[in-house]
Amino acid sequence: MGQPPRTFSFSLKNDIAELQTLGRQIESIGRALDLSKRCLFEINLALDELFTNIISYGFTDGGEHRIELNLSAADEVLTVTIADDGVAFNPTERPAPALPDTVDDCRVGGLGIYLIQNLMDEVHYRREDKKNILTLKKKLERIRPPCRGGPS
Amino acid sequence: MDIAEEKHPGAHTFKLRGRLDSNTSLAFEQRLFEAITSGAKHVIIDFKELDYISSAGLRVILKATKALKREEGKILLCAMQDYVKEVFEIAGFDAFLPIVPTLDEALRAV
Repeated sequence: MGQPPRTFSFSLKNDIAELQTLGRQIESIGRALDLSKRCLFEINLALDELFTNIISYGFTDGGEHRIELNLSAADEVLTVTIADDGVAFNPTERPAPALPDTVDDCRVGGLGIYLIQNLMDEVHYRREDKKNILTLKKKLERIRPPCRGGPS
Repeated sequence: MDIAEEKHPGAHTFKLRGRLDSNTSLAFEQRLFEAITSGAKHVIIDFKELDYISSAGLRVILKATKALKREEGKILLCAMQDYVKEVFEIAGFDAFLPIVPTLDEALRAV
C-alpha cells in the first residue's frame, strides 16, 4: 500500500457556466497530483459529459440544485463520486451507440455517455436517498520526473 | 475560446484556441454556418491551439460536415493534440472525417 489517499471535494450549481469552474477545479487537482495532460483531459471530459447530462435532463423543477463531486487518489487510482438529486438515471444502462461508417449514419445521441465509459476504467451507478450516485475509477498517469543519470 | 477565421484560395480556415465545450460550441456553430451560408465549400479547422473538446464540439463539427456534404464541399481537420484525436477515434468520426497532421497538408489537400 502506498501513500494515504488525497481527497478533493467541491460542488457545482446546475448551470452550464459551471463547466468553467469544473475545468479550473480539475486543472488544480491535476497539478496537485502531477497528472499527465492526457489523463487530466480524460477526467475533465468524462466529468463534463456527466455534468452536462445531469443538468440537461436531471432537473424538472426549474430550481437551483448542487451537484457534489468527490475525488480521491490512492494507489495510483482516482475514484470520483458524483451525486445529484435529480430524476433517477442510470447511465450504465444506456446501450452503446452504433459506430458510424459514413457521415450520414452518424448520430450524436448517447455519445457523451459512450465517451465516459471509454475514458474511465470503471463506472458504477447506485440510487440512494433519492440521489443518483455515480462512481468512476481511473488509473492515474503521472508526469514522471526525468531519470537521474539516464540519457537525456 | 478564440476563433480566428481566414480565407485562403479555395478554403476557409478556422483556427480554434482554448476549449470547445457546451459553453462555446454555439458561438463556433454560428461562425461556421455564417461561412457556409455565404458560400464557403471547403472548410479547414485548425486544432493546433485547441486544448479541449467535448461531445458538444463533436456535434457542431458533425452538423457542419453534413451541411457541407449537401453543398458538395468538404471539411478537413488538422493539427490535433493526440488526446483530442483520441476523442474523434472513440466516437468513430475518423471513419468519415479527414484528419491531417498540419495546416499546410490540409491546404494542399483541398
